[in-house]
Amino acid sequence: MPFTDHSDLYGAVHDEGINRVVRHIMRQRPSLFNYATPVFHQRPELFCQKIDVADKVTKAGNPIFTEQEPLPIFGTPVPMGLNFCVQFTDFQIDFHPTDQFELPPELGSKLQPQRMAVRARACAGLDCPPKELIDELVPILERLNVAQRKLFVDEIGGDDKEKRAAAAQRISSGTQDAPVASIQRRVSVAAPNVTTGITTVPPRGRDVFVLPTRELMCFCLEVYAVAHFEWGTVPGFEGQWLKPRVDGIEIVDIAPTPMENAIECFVMTTLRLGILPRLIVPMEKMVLDVTAMLQEQGLNVGQQITLEPAAVPGDVPNNPAIEQNEIRAFINLNVS
Amino acid sequence: MAHLTVAVSEGAIKKAFEVLVANIAWEKQDSGDFGPFTAGYHIKGHLEGGDVDLRNDGTIRVKELDIKWDKLEVSLGLDIPEICVGGGCINMPWPIPDICLPEVCVFSDDPDIGPIALDFAAFVAQEVSFTGSIDARYFNASLPVPPGFNPCQLLQDVLIDNSIIEPVPDHNQWQIFINPQTVDIDLFDFPDIVGDLIEDALTAAITAIIPGGWVRDLILAIIGGIADLIRFVLDIPDEIDEWLSDLFNISFGLLDFLTTLVLDFFGNCVPIARIDDPFEIMPAEDSTSVLLSGATVTLVPVAIPIPSLTINVNDVEMVATADVGG
Repeated sequence: MPFTDHSDLYGAVHDEGINRVVRHIMRQRPSLFNYATPVFHQRPELFCQKIDVADKVTKAGNPIFTEQEPLPIFGTPVPMGLNFCVQFTDFQIDFHPTDQFELPPELGSKLQPQRMAVRARACAGLDCPPKELIDELVPILERLNVAQRKLFVDEIGGDDKEKRAAAAQRISSGTQDAPVASIQRRVSVAAPNVTTGITTVPPRGRDVFVLPTRELMCFCLEVYAVAHFEWGTVPGFEGQWLKPRVDGIEIVDIAPTPMENAIECFVMTTLRLGILPRLIVPMEKMVLDVTAMLQEQGLNVGQQITLEPAAVPGDVPNNPAIEQNEIRAFINLNVS
Repeated sequence: MAHLTVAVSEGAIKKAFEVLVANIAWEKQDSGDFGPFTAGYHIKGHLEGGDVDLRNDGTIRVKELDIKWDKLEVSLGLDIPEICVGGGCINMPWPIPDICLPEVCVFSDDPDIGPIALDFAAFVAQEVSFTGSIDARYFNASLPVPPGFNPCQLLQDVLIDNSIIEPVPDHNQWQIFINPQTVDIDLFDFPDIVGDLIEDALTAAITAIIPGGWVRDLILAIIGGIADLIRFVLDIPDEIDEWLSDLFNISFGLLDFLTTLVLDFFGNCVPIARIDDPFEIMPAEDSTSVLLSGATVTLVPVAIPIPSLTINVNDVEMVATADVGG
């Protein structure tokens, strides 16, 4: 059957084509999908999942991840942090019928007609300092805490509550240079004597002391979503609107089950009430004014030429249609 | 199933063709003084009619596209060297005054004759019919240039030197070519010329007799029908010629044959569109957000390989398909 039986123009993209394009982007722009602290430059083996990179990325010396500041350890007398990484390792799309991946049973295992599924997998790894290292650091940090309090009292002192509050704010934010610098000097001298591998990261403003990492504790999450498109009206506004709709979400293997259900419910509610209503598109926005485009190119034509989606259900039953592993668009060319 | 499919219906191609025909027009005029003569031209034309047809053999047929001339004027003027007689004086003895003859000059203007302008627009019209296919071919930049005389290379070099086409790429490309099969050009489209002359003459006569009203409109409509009939009858031999050309896939007539050869040569040597392989979908980018230090990193462009690209034509649509490499 001809592709253009019910419209002037027809375009279709196969799910395998989209997935291949995504894989190419992941290999050629790995920094869009991998986030980690700078230590991973020297120790890429720490990543939860080995990053597959195109040769040209390596040849060009492009970073394979986007640098992140260490995860802060709250309450320490000097800024301290832990190494971590977040990796988006897979992104796949599947148009009806199911062929790219199996859906979890909670979403029905197989796609229904005119439905598409998205599968995303992300892994995160966090350094967990060994007990011995913690035990070594505790006395030093206790000493620093006391030293910090002593410096604070020596410098500010008195009973003026407002002055004390302002000083506390300056110290905690690092703008009170003298005490913080003093503490940092002590750590930099003391820490290497009792530990190995403490590094500093100068992100923005002041150094963060990063604990040495032997290995990361990694975990991965898989998220599945099923969605479809539909045309409808918006109360108070004219015309038809194309609306993306999400049918279900499943985060695999989070325990306990009530927590999984609560997270899924929260994500679903956010999508349905917060995000998807912003993505609806009116039919008028989808009309391409070819005449205006030609005029911008310096070509004046006497007729009004437009490209617009074929009408549903007048011309075609679904537009865009999700069928035979493709997303298909039917477009009409109008000349007046 | 292909990763990407784009189809255009025959109806959409016909609409686009009609828009194209309705909006293509040209006008140019110039003149020059070449000493003893002046010459100039003023041409103005447009396209009319024609039809486009997609066919099951994978070809596209553009049929009987008329090239109409609104003005096809040449002007010529002659500048004859000036000739002057008289003007001299005869000295007479005193007291008789000198006798001076009046000076008479001829051919003082420039030009002296003309310019005489002749407009051939009413007597000239061309009709073009064309059959061709669209081919997608792969250009492999790593293959060595074949040894020996390469006419295509010669043509490409000339066009590149004159900035008419892009240079030969140093990377792989898909190149789209128009492959002409038959061309039929009627330098003088007699059916249209005669039809137009008769229609114009009769219309002028009727308009002079009956200035307006429905009676005049009715008569003019009948005249138009008669003129169309004359055009159709006179065009029968040409229709047969085109039909035979189409049937045997060869252009009859020396001009058509030569034109087909030239277009075939151009069609095989000069692509009308090029698609890089791999195709860049995200350009190189200077990013300051990848490193914590804020240093600029030039990220390489993202490109996807296109291992296959095909363009097929059948009697209802033209379909382009492409695959993305793994």
